[in-house]
Amino acid sequence: MVVGDVTTSTDVLVIGAGPGGYVAAIRAAQLDLDVTLVEKGAYGGACLNRGCIPSKALLNASKLAAEAGNAEELGIYADPTVALDEMMDWKDGVVDQLTSGIEQLCTAAGVNLLQGTAEFADENKIRIVHQGDGQGSESLKFEYCIIATGSRPIEIPGFDYGDEYIVSSTGALTLETVPDELAIVGAGYIGMELATVYSRLGSDVTVVEMLEQALPSYEQDIASVVRQRAENLGVDFHFGYTADSWAESGDEAVLTAVPADGAAHDSDIELTADRILVAVGRRPVTDTLSIDAAGVETSSQGFIPTDSRCRTNKEHIFAVGDVAGEPMLAHKGSKEGEVAAEVIAGEPAAVDYQALPAAVFTEPEIGTVGLTATEAANEGITPVTGTFQFQASGRALTANRTDGFVRIVAAKETERVIGAQIVGPEASELIAEIAAMIEMGAKLQDIGSTVHTHPTLSESIMEAAQNARGKAIHRHT
Amino acid sequence: MVREFELPDVGEGVAEGELLRWRVAPGDAVSEDQPVAEVETDKAVVDVPSPVDGVVEELRATEGEVVPVGDVIIVFRVEGENESDETAVTPPDDATSESGSQTDDEATPQPTGDAPSDPAVTQSVQVPAPPSVRRLARELGVDISSIADSSSGRITESDIRAYASESSTQERSNQQTAAAGQRDQQSAPAQSVSSAQMQETADRETTVAVPKTRHIAAEEGIDLNTVPTDERKDGEPFVTLETVREYAEAHQQAQKTDREAVARRAATDEPARPESRKPYTGIRQTIGSAMTESKYTAPHVTHQDEVDVTALVDARSALKQAAEEHDIRLTYLPFVMKACAAALQENPQINVSLDEANEEIVEKQYYNIGIATATDDGLLVPVVEDVDTKGLLEVAAETYEKTQKARERSLSPEEMRGGTFTISNIGGIGGEYGTPIINQPESAILALGEIKKKPRVVERDGEETIEPRHVMTLSLSFDHRVLDGADAAQFTNAVQKYLRNPNLLLLE
Repeated sequence: MVVGDVTTSTDVLVIGAGPGGYVAAIRAAQLDLDVTLVEKGAYGGACLNRGCIPSKALLNASKLAAEAGNAEELGIYADPTVALDEMMDWKDGVVDQLTSGIEQLCTAAGVNLLQGTAEFADENKIRIVHQGDGQGSESLKFEYCIIATGSRPIEIPGFDYGDEYIVSSTGALTLETVPDELAIVGAGYIGMELATVYSRLGSDVTVVEMLEQALPSYEQDIASVVRQRAENLGVDFHFGYTADSWAESGDEAVLTAVPADGAAHDSDIELTADRILVAVGRRPVTDTLSIDAAGVETSSQGFIPTDSRCRTNKEHIFAVGDVAGEPMLAHKGSKEGEVAAEVIAGEPAAVDYQALPAAVFTEPEIGTVGLTATEAANEGITPVTGTFQFQASGRALTANRTDGFVRIVAAKETERVIGAQIVGPEASELIAEIAAMIEMGAKLQDIGSTVHTHPTLSESIMEAAQNARGKAIHRHT
Repeated sequence: MVREFELPDVGEGVAEGELLRWRVAPGDAVSEDQPVAEVETDKAVVDVPSPVDGVVEELRATEGEVVPVGDVIIVFRVEGENESDETAVTPPDDATSESGSQTDDEATPQPTGDAPSDPAVTQSVQVPAPPSVRRLARELGVDISSIADSSSGRITESDIRAYASESSTQERSNQQTAAAGQRDQQSAPAQSVSSAQMQETADRETTVAVPKTRHIAAEEGIDLNTVPTDERKDGEPFVTLETVREYAEAHQQAQKTDREAVARRAATDEPARPESRKPYTGIRQTIGSAMTESKYTAPHVTHQDEVDVTALVDARSALKQAAEEHDIRLTYLPFVMKACAAALQENPQINVSLDEANEEIVEKQYYNIGIATATDDGLLVPVVEDVDTKGLLEVAAETYEKTQKARERSLSPEEMRGGTFTISNIGGIGGEYGTPIINQPESAILALGEIKKKPRVVERDGEETIEPRHVMTLSLSFDHRVLDGADAAQFTNAVQKYLRNPNLLLLE
C-alpha cells in the first residue's frame, strides 16, 4: 500500500464503465450489493464515446447528406453543404446525452462512482490512481471484482496515433474537417463503416487491405454487396497489400503499401492522403491493470479467459465484454455484465444465448446471427437455406434501396432455424427477429407462418423462410 | 388433475426445513388449510397447511429429511379441474426413462450460482428451448442437454420441472441407500460387498453403440464389451448411453465401496469404540452457526460480579403466595428482567446494536428482553417485549408462557424476534460464572448463576458480622466493539442495585 492511501471496501468492484461494466454495476446494485464503479475516462466506454454511438451518428448524418445529394432519380435535386464542425457538435451532443444518462442511471441505482485508473494490489485489493498532479490514490478492498476494461485500437509499427496524419477510429470520429483524401488501412467493419462515412461526406477514400476481400469475417457474397456499394460511392480498394510506412510530403502524407504475400502483386503502391486511418483491429486492455497481482490469467493476446459464468481463473474475479474475448460487441458485453452481477448475487445466471446477433453499419447494412451454412456443415448439421432478394421487396423498391438479400439457415432434418445473414436496408434491425426466433427454438414454418406486416422489409424474412421450405410465393430467381 | 405442492417459505426467508412428521398419508382426503406436515425450520416447528381440497396422491419427502424451500413435497389429486392439464406435470415417457438413469452428477441439484456444467458460449444452436426455460433448468440444476438428447421437439418448462422432480426422487433414494449403507457399515463392518458381487459385468467380443456413447464410455474408462445389455441392434448387442452411464456410476460406486472396505480393514486394528451419530441439523445447526458468527464477529469480554440477593429472596417469598392466587408462578427471573430493564434505561449505551453496513450504532428506546431457554432440541430465546412498561406479574406470566411454549416447540418465529438484551439463566441448573455468547445483533448478554448461600461480611449499625447470605453471580458478556469495560461495570452495578434492594423496582 502506498503511504497515504485510504483503504475502503466494497462488495463488488467494477472496473470500466462501458456497456459491460455499467450494466454489471447497475444490475449488481439492483440486487442489493454494494457496488463501486471505477472509470478512468468518460462513462459509456468505447461504445458511447469512441465507437457505436458516434460512428452511427456520423453514418446517419452522412447518409442524409449523400441521399439528399443523389436523389435525382426520384426527382429531387439538391446540393447539400456539410458543415463538419456542426455535424460533430450534434454528434457530441448525442454522446453527451447518453454518457450523462449512464452516470445518472448508476447514481440512481446506488452505485458508487470513482474516477481513476485501477491497478490490482492483490487479489482482493485495488489501487485507484487519480488523474492529475497531486490527486493521489486510494485503495479499495473488494469481495468480488468485474473487469470490464474493454479494448483499444491496435497500433501498427511506424504508424503512431500521436502523429499528425495518423488517426485511429477514435480520431476519425472527431475530425474537424472532411479530408480531401483519406487512406484507410484495414477493410474490416470499422474501416468499412468509416469509408462509408467519409466517402459520403466527399472524401476520396482508398482502402488498403491485407487480405483479398473486404469484411473478411463475412461470407463473400455479403462482403461483395457492401464492397460494390462502396465502390459506387467512389471508394478505391487495394486488396492484398499491407501498410508499410508513411512519409510527410508537403502538406500531405504518402502511404507506402507493399504486397502482402509478394505473389499476387509485384509492386509497391504509394497513396497520398490528408489523413491515414489505421483500423486493423482492437486489442483488450489488460496491460494497465497490474493483473498479475490479482493472479488473473490472460491469453497470449491479452484476453481474459472466462467460463460461462464470466468467471476468470479466480472464483471471485469476473471479466466481461471485449476484455473477455471475441467477438467484441457491446451487446455481448452488456449480457455478460448482467450475468456476472447475477452470479455474484447467487442467481443461476449463465451466458447461454443460442446465437449472438451482430451488425455492420455500412451501406447497405449487414446483420448476422447464428451459423452460416458452412459453419453448420462444419458442426455436422446438414443445412438448408432460403434466400430472398430485396430487389423483389416492394418496400425496398419504394425506399429505392434494393441491394442485398435475406438468407435463413436451418437444420435440414428438424427445420429449426439456426442462423441468418442479411445484407441490405435495415439489416441491423431485421436480424433481431431471427435472433428471437432462434432463442425460442423456432422452425422455418414458425417464421413462414407468422403473418408479417405488408409492405415492410421484414416480409423478406418470411419469404426467405418459405423459400427454404420450397414454398415461397414471391420466388426470385 | 394433480397439483404439486412445494414447501413454502414457512418462516421469514428460511431456505430449508426438516420435515418432522407427515400428518397425512397417500389416499387421505384433505381440505384446504388442513395441516399436512410438520416442518422444523431454523427456530420453530410449523404446520404446513394444504393449499387445496383433494386427495393425497404422493408424498415426495420422508420424515427427517431436510427439504429446500421450493421443492415439491406432496402431490394432491384435485377433482373437477381440467384433466387435460395433467400432462403439464406428467413427464413424457422418454424423459422419465432418461432421467431415471442419470448419473449422480447430473441428477444432483446444484447449489445456486453453480451450473451443472458450463454450456460453452457458442454460436452453435443445440438446445431447442427458449431462454426462460434454460434459466429454469439452471435454477433447478437440470442439465438441459440431457433432456435435449431424449426429446426431438422443443423443451418446455414442464419438461424441466418433470425432469427435476424425477431427478430429486432418484437422488433421495440414492441418499437413503447411502445412509442405509453407512448404518450397515457401523453395525457390521465385516459385511462389505465387493465390486464383483455388486456389479454384473458382461464379456462380449462386439458391441454396437452410437458414437456419442462410445465417446462417453472412453471418457469414463469403460470397455463397452463389459457393459451388460439385453438390447440388440442388427442382431448385435447394443448399448445405450444411459446404460453406460448407469454402469459407470455403479463401477465408481463399487470402487469406492472397495476402497472403504480396505480402509476399514486397515482400521480394524483399533478396537471398535461404542459411539453413535445423530444429524447436526435444524435448530442445533442454527444455534451453532449463530454462536460461531457471534463469537467471531463481536470481540467478547465477560464482566463478572456477584450480588447479595437476600432481600430479593425475602421479597419473592413474600410475593409468591400473592402471585399464586393469580395462578402465576413467581420465580426470580421476572425480578432480574425488571432490574435489567431499569438498568438498561439508566445505561442506554448497553441497549444498542451495531449496524455495520451503515456504520451506525443503533440505540434502542425499547426494552425487549430475551430469555435463553434450554429445550430438548437446544437453546431457544423467546422475547418478552416492553419489560419496562409491564408489571412484575405481567412479566412473570408472559415469561412463563413463552418459555413453556419454547419447551413445547410451539413458539412462532415472531416471538423470538426483536430482542434488545438477553438473559441466560443457567443458575436454575447450577454453576457460578460463565461466558455467555451475545445474541446478535444485541450487544450484551447476562448469565445468572445459581443463588447460593455464602458467608458474607454484613455491616449493620457500624458493626461487622459474618452471616450466611443469598448470593447470585452475574456474568455479563459484551461486544467490545461498541462497549467498554466501564460501560459493563456501570450496567452491572445498576442491576446489582435493583437486585440488592428490590423495593427500588417499585419505583420503576
